[in-house]
Amino acid sequence: MEEMNDAHMKKPGGFVFRLVALVVVVACLALFPFVITNRFYISLLNEMMIYGLLAMSLDVLLGYTGLLSFMHNAYLGIGAYIVGLFLIHIAPSSIWLALLVGVVGTTVIAVPVGWVQVRTGGLAFALLTLAFGMMFFTVAWKWYDLTGGDDGLMGVPQPDVQLGGWVLGNSGDPTVMYFLTLAVLLICLVVTWRIIHSPFGSVLEAIRENEDRAAFVGINVRKYKLLGWTFACMLASISGGLYILYRGYIGPTSMHAFAGAAVLMMVLLGGMGTLWGPIVGAGIFILMQDYISTMTEHWELFVGLVVILLVLFMPRGFVGLSDLFRFRKE
Amino acid sequence: MNQSVILHTEDLHRRFGGVLATNAVNIEFRENRLKSIIGPNGAGKTTLINVITGRLPASSGAILFQDRDITSQPAHRLTALGICRTFQITSIFMGLTVFENVRISKQMQRGGSFRIFSTKGSLKKVNAETWEILERLDLKDKAHVPSSNLAHGDQRLLEVAMALASEPKILFLDEPTAGMSPAETEHIAQMIKGLSENISVALVEHDMDVVMTISDEITVLHQGTIIAEGPPEEIQKNQMVKEAYLGGG
Repeated sequence: MEEMNDAHMKKPGGFVFRLVALVVVVACLALFPFVITNRFYISLLNEMMIYGLLAMSLDVLLGYTGLLSFMHNAYLGIGAYIVGLFLIHIAPSSIWLALLVGVVGTTVIAVPVGWVQVRTGGLAFALLTLAFGMMFFTVAWKWYDLTGGDDGLMGVPQPDVQLGGWVLGNSGDPTVMYFLTLAVLLICLVVTWRIIHSPFGSVLEAIRENEDRAAFVGINVRKYKLLGWTFACMLASISGGLYILYRGYIGPTSMHAFAGAAVLMMVLLGGMGTLWGPIVGAGIFILMQDYISTMTEHWELFVGLVVILLVLFMPRGFVGLSDLFRFRKE
Repeated sequence: MNQSVILHTEDLHRRFGGVLATNAVNIEFRENRLKSIIGPNGAGKTTLINVITGRLPASSGAILFQDRDITSQPAHRLTALGICRTFQITSIFMGLTVFENVRISKQMQRGGSFRIFSTKGSLKKVNAETWEILERLDLKDKAHVPSSNLAHGDQRLLEVAMALASEPKILFLDEPTAGMSPAETEHIAQMIKGLSENISVALVEHDMDVVMTISDEITVLHQGTIIAEGPPEEIQKNQMVKEAYLGGG
């Protein structure tokens, strides 16, 4: 009986395999700045990880709760603006406090928005995310005194990264930021993985599978959708905090619907409902964008083409690649 | 044997535009009894269940559960009270395993959904009781099969298992034998009869053999209104019922 209890949770791959894969990938990422010392590549990988975190947070919503957000980048933006404003106006050297304020502040905004959104589902929910997202974009773009308008928030202090009085370096240093992002991403991935596979996560999955039925097994659908939404926005705000620490700048374009569509593509490219897939998807997307934009200024055209081909031939995304190498059991 | 009324409605109405799908319905369900709701197509049987179980709001009237007004309570709260149901069109969590379908239902009934850092396996009682239900309904061997891969009959059975996991005090079954083979129908009919020894069961069913064999009491609906009520022998002889089914009168 005891073995059978666990058996239903075993998926192809197994826990040990996942753990080993994670350790290997993290080790490679940790060694990367020592092997490739070119700051450009370190920054590029850093950006991949920041957007990887954002894409993963959207996966919590899309892949596990079954809710589509067209503009999840809005919550990266809100987190980034809050952290930036906190560093400029309140405490220029408190990095952890700034990140915490970013998460709390974003949550305070995301909860009432979510409260309205969860009254709907499906396409209506997605459209509301677009409506709210465009409103937030307009605030960032037009409220000049607060956000700097279309110039963006400039001159954001880049504080030292401290851990218990021990200075690890300055967040303006790409290598220092790289390790901070890697550490935060790893913690977020592990914590999110744990939560998604908890009894709480299984409630979200039930809602994803069949919202109507969920109510009749006793699930307060709106409440859990709001919790899933809030959790996803909190994770997104962490990516926003990392974003502004790394760049020292945030502009309204990062909150535009185009950027929201890009995050959605990252999730679909990587493969939703896996957490790690969207992180890989973000990496592929940013690499593609960076590489193609060196050849042509019309890079969006080619990124679009690649996405179309991938959707047609790898509908499950990058994670579907493993299907090609797996022997079918039937 | 305790046979007190567990749930009843008072002058219940449900309107769709100009049509009264439920018209002044006063119906009562007793503990440890199996009551069937029958009637020709479009009589309002499913609508009545939908209104009582909180899927549709009532237009007017009241629903009382253990003498407590539960009209317009949301479905998840009714489920927690012990008012559970299955659906006419199979409604399960297709992407999840058979085990997980029942387990999530059990988890909601037992609690523990806010253990965000625990494993699902850590809810020992939930798991153990899930196995009990799967065993009871002969679904144990298929526990780890994705529920979308089950045969139709087993999917219907799974839905009953999910409802039982909520530990219903009253269980509404909307055409549980739809699309089943005669053997499966016989099996599920006996199971339903068995359930009614411990809880109140309300059955909507088209198979008259099943209805007449296992019901303690039958309510006949026609155009949203109750036209007859009584034990199976009485209903079989009722002239109004015959006319309703034959489209006369």
